[in-house]
Amino acid sequence: MVDLEKLKNVARETVSRDDVKYLIGWRQGTYGFRVSPHFVKEPDEAEKLIFSPLCTNNLATYLVLTERLPLLRGEQPDSRKVALMVKGCDSRAVVQQLIEQGINRESVFIIGCPCEGVIDLKKVEEKFSNQPGPVQARWSNGKIVFHLPDGDKEVPKGEVLAAKCLSCRYPNPVITDLMLWEEVQTRGSDEYEDVKELEAKSPQERWLFWEDKFSSCIRCYSCRNVCPMCYCEDCVLDRLNPAWVFRSNNISENTAFQLARAFHLAGRCIECGECERVCPVGIPLTKLNRKLAKEVKEKYEYIPGLDPESKPLQSSYRPDDKEDFIL
Amino acid sequence: MKEQFEPNVVAFLCNWCSYAGADLAGTSRIQYPSNLNVIRVMCSGRVNPLFVINALQQGADGVLISGCHPGDCHYMEGNFYARRRFTLMKELLEYVGVDSRRFNMSWVSASEGSKWKDVVQGVVEKAKEAGPFEQFRRNKINW
Repeated sequence: MVDLEKLKNVARETVSRDDVKYLIGWRQGTYGFRVSPHFVKEPDEAEKLIFSPLCTNNLATYLVLTERLPLLRGEQPDSRKVALMVKGCDSRAVVQQLIEQGINRESVFIIGCPCEGVIDLKKVEEKFSNQPGPVQARWSNGKIVFHLPDGDKEVPKGEVLAAKCLSCRYPNPVITDLMLWEEVQTRGSDEYEDVKELEAKSPQERWLFWEDKFSSCIRCYSCRNVCPMCYCEDCVLDRLNPAWVFRSNNISENTAFQLARAFHLAGRCIECGECERVCPVGIPLTKLNRKLAKEVKEKYEYIPGLDPESKPLQSSYRPDDKEDFIL
Repeated sequence: MKEQFEPNVVAFLCNWCSYAGADLAGTSRIQYPSNLNVIRVMCSGRVNPLFVINALQQGADGVLISGCHPGDCHYMEGNFYARRRFTLMKELLEYVGVDSRRFNMSWVSASEGSKWKDVVQGVVEKAKEAGPFEQFRRNKINW
């Protein structure tokens, strides 16, 4: 069960440690069902921390997106740890970053929050329309309780949970330094039904589907920026010479961008669904990423973000890899 | 009279095997279709999957990537990486609806001039069947 007092106490203790720079957690947003990331630098700031079904954000992004300013002469790099609160899916992002050596194990302190599933904001806002004031929520016996201004509303999980949570295989953090409360039950298996459904269509139908989606892309790159796995300092999308993907907004460049983005996550995507959540035009990006995740699992029996000791998929090989399409 | 469609196939050949194999086919005077635009790369592992997307954007109707047989790579393991990469790339292209006949990969060694001919004939034939690629070709801009 979620124990907010314990969470705050742990956060206070952690931040007071000498070897911790700051702690990243969640706090109530300014309106509606929104939650924003909370950077705790002083122990008394821990009071604002929450953990609820509204905490959708994957905070692992902030581990790799820190600004690294050049050091002054004689200055030592700040080697203190960053404490991070993780759900099950976030922890896989951390593991994947460890696999790729994007971060060091010594530089993070991982606080695990076993999670019973977070909401899909669109589904909730459809149900309760826009709330001007901040709304809180909590899990309760397999249901989610929203504390609305006109009284508490109990909603079955199936109606408001994000799609990724309904088929979640890893609700408990796979890597932690400290687990906040007892682990929750795994909710089930993932058979990639949504991918198989699209695969069953003809190529023309699939292209019509994706053409429609890709042509609405406005190339805001939110999906890239929010992704905990997209942290190259020199991104191909920003390159001008050579310009891999032009900046004009048309179906050709949009498709090239989407394919490049999806491919760069092949064997790395941990299916946290952040890209789809932040997409302002509602492109089903997880459908694209999950296709590659499915192929990686079937062809190479590789599931990213589970074992920090494993090698990244695309920088390893087995001599007997399948090659049935190669002439 | 309607002109027959001649596909434009971009081929990325590794310097050590496939390029030499194609060269052998030439010196042995083996006839094969001329629809191929060959780009020589040092290893099939050097081919970036974005090359494929870019080729399709810029007017290719088909793409062929060819390297040494597994185990024969001049750089020991380059083609193993290429194999994983392009197996996934092919799946992705098919998934968004690109005709599966447009993307091909082959292993051709330096001594396989006749295999090279067969590969090219097959690839060009497939690209011809698939027709002109228009799904996400980059439109020329007239300033």
